[in-house]
Amino acid sequence: MSAARPQLSQDFVAAHKRRRMIDAMSELCAERGYEAAKIADVVRHAHVARKTLYDNFTGKEDLFLAAFDTALADAEVEIAAACAGLPPTAWEARTEAALRALLGFIAAHPAAARLALVEAPTAGPAAAARYDAAIDGFIARLRDAAPTAPGRPTTLEEALVGGTVWIMHRQVRRGDIAKAPALLPELTEFIVSPYRSVGKR
Amino acid sequence: MPQFDAEMDRLPRGRHGLSPEFVARNQRERLITALILTLDEVGYQKTTVSLIGARAAVSKSDFYKHFRSKDECFLAAYEAAVERVRAVVLEACAGAGSVDWPGRVRAAIVALLELLAAEPPLAGILLAEGLRAGRDIHERYRSAIESFVPLLREGAPDPPGGEPAPPAIDEAVVGGIASLLGRRVAAGETASLTALAPDVLEFALAPHLGTEGARRIVSAG
Repeated sequence: MSAARPQLSQDFVAAHKRRRMIDAMSELCAERGYEAAKIADVVRHAHVARKTLYDNFTGKEDLFLAAFDTALADAEVEIAAACAGLPPTAWEARTEAALRALLGFIAAHPAAARLALVEAPTAGPAAAARYDAAIDGFIARLRDAAPTAPGRPTTLEEALVGGTVWIMHRQVRRGDIAKAPALLPELTEFIVSPYRSVGKR
Repeated sequence: MPQFDAEMDRLPRGRHGLSPEFVARNQRERLITALILTLDEVGYQKTTVSLIGARAAVSKSDFYKHFRSKDECFLAAYEAAVERVRAVVLEACAGAGSVDWPGRVRAAIVALLELLAAEPPLAGILLAEGLRAGRDIHERYRSAIESFVPLLREGAPDPPGGEPAPPAIDEAVVGGIASLLGRRVAAGETASLTALAPDVLEFALAPHLGTEGARRIVSAG
């Protein structure tokens, strides 16, 4: 006679299955791209019934968007933790910490990173809009966090975020994921150096 | 290389005694131009083979003599657009020839922004709509942008303080500029791109000259 299985809460099981579906979507997109990732493959990878997927998501795009949001939220947790111990005024240290967390996240979660950086811009209009909104969010945060000074080009944050994301995309696309953290000194310098100047234009 | 503004030339109807090769080349060019113009008007999803053909005054069956699909036409159009920009930028760099590195970078940036501002459909396919058209086009976009990195790097001085700027930074600069311009184009601000020249120039020069040095050059111009 087997021992009785411990009863896991329904919520826990449901959340776990949802996570598995999201992870499966990320893995499949990383392997074959959004177009070629099929629901049949997702449910098989996630070990869930097809019905379970459709109970949680309206379809492939909905699942993709959830995976995107989850990747971003998980990265945010890492960033917040990295900045937690640092004084709000220590702008350069906080920038470095945030970048370190982001690059570490990419190295540790390559499929999620690929989904967010490489797949999202071309996975349909809704995903592209989500991606654009995330970029807008980073631009706004950089603008808020960075030291103010007259003479700064108003386009600086757009260009810096665009350039940083470009490099991260390149790293992920090339599959050089493990080397992502090595970009830290260059990217930190790239972002903070324009704010160090004292002269006006 | 056709210019991507709204007028298109048509071959005379009926027998015109033009070689089949000429007609074919002309048709292909017209289809590419028609795609770029249509894309600018209705966006990627609504740009259909029918609309492209109608705009180009080319029948559907003739369309399929040149391209297997809308996406194949799109790829060809994208390449044509990239070549156009590359030619203009290279010409500007060559024209600035004996001038120093900042002078060449300035010439390239001004030429680029003037071209894009003058031809919004070109800017649109390259930097905005073109990005949403699927992975193949996105790959082309990436390699097109990357192809400008050597132009930026060539002759660039080492930054004050001695260490050469890492190659990744010039990639970040070019990628950042593309991203900035793409946002403005997507927001319908293509006509005012030329106003960004000072910002873009400072951004491009700063990793090599320092922000102070870059600003001096930008103000002097």
